[in-house]
Amino acid sequence: MAFQILLNFFLAFVWMFLKVSYDPVTFLVGYFFGLLIIFAFRRFFDSRFYLLRVVAVINLLLIFMRELILSNIAILKVILKPKLDIRPGIFALETELTEDWEITVLSGLITLTPGTLVIDVSDDNRILYIHAMDIGDVDESVSSIKNSFEKAIMEVSK
Amino acid sequence: MKTNDIILQTVTKVTLFIIILFSIHLFFAGHYYPGGGFVGGLMTSGAIVLLLLAFDMKTVANILPIDYKYMIATGLLFAVGTGAGALLFNAPFLTHAFKDVYLPLLGKTSLHTAVLFDTGVFLVVVGVTMTIIQTIGEDE
Repeated sequence: MAFQILLNFFLAFVWMFLKVSYDPVTFLVGYFFGLLIIFAFRRFFDSRFYLLRVVAVINLLLIFMRELILSNIAILKVILKPKLDIRPGIFALETELTEDWEITVLSGLITLTPGTLVIDVSDDNRILYIHAMDIGDVDESVSSIKNSFEKAIMEVSK
Repeated sequence: MKTNDIILQTVTKVTLFIIILFSIHLFFAGHYYPGGGFVGGLMTSGAIVLLLLAFDMKTVANILPIDYKYMIATGLLFAVGTGAGALLFNAPFLTHAFKDVYLPLLGKTSLHTAVLFDTGVFLVVVGVTMTIIQTIGEDE
C-alpha cells in the first residue's frame, strides 16, 4: 500500500515536470492520472488497490462518529430514567484481530458503543474483557455490533 | 536456461508507470504541441510491450484482462461516432466543434470534439499494436 501511494506521488511530480508548471492544480491533475494508471494496473501489485483501503478508513470513521452519538443518547436515557433498573456485568469477547493497532481501535470503538466499556485485554491479546451496563439484553446485540466493528477493521487491514 | 529477471522486473514496475504517464502527456499535448493519439497510443503499447518482455504473456493477461480486438472496435466507434455526431447538428460529416468551459480544477479549458476522435485513434493504435505483437508471440 505504501508503495502505491509513493508511486502515485512520484507520478504526480513527474507530471509537474512534464508540464513545466509547479502549482498545486498540476499536482492534483497528475495525481489523478497516476491514480487512473495505478487503477488500470491494480492486479500488478501484491496488495489491493489502495483507494479501497482509504474508503475503508473513511467508513470506519463514519461508524465511529455514529456510535459516539448513539452511545451518548443511550446514556442520557438511562440517567433521565427515574427507576434504576440496569444489571451490570462483565463478559469476555474473543477477537480474531492480531495487530496491536487493530485491538486498540476495536477496544476504543467498543468503549464508545452504548453501554459497554473495555476493562482489560488478556496477555495473549486474544480476549477482551468488557463491562456491560445492562448485560441481559445487551449481550447478543452487542456481539453483533462487535462483529460489524471487527469486520470494518479487518476491511482496513486486509 | 532460465535466468533471474529480478532487476528487469523491478525496474519495469516503476518505469512502466512513467512511460504511460508520458504517453498521456503526449496524448493531451496533441493539439498545441507535437503529440497526439498516434504517438500516445504507440507509447502506451510500448509500455505494455515492456511488461511483456519483463514477465510472460500469461502474467500480463492476468494483469490486463483486455481483449484488444474489442479495443480496436471501440476506438473505431469513437471515431465514427464523433464524425456522425456532426450530422445531428446539420453540419457536414467530421465537422468538429469546441467550447471554452470553466472546470472546477483545471480553470479555463477548451473542450474540443477532436479529442474524442483522438481517443479513437489512441484505442485503435494500442489495440492493433498489441494484437500484432500478441499474435506473433503466441505462435510457438
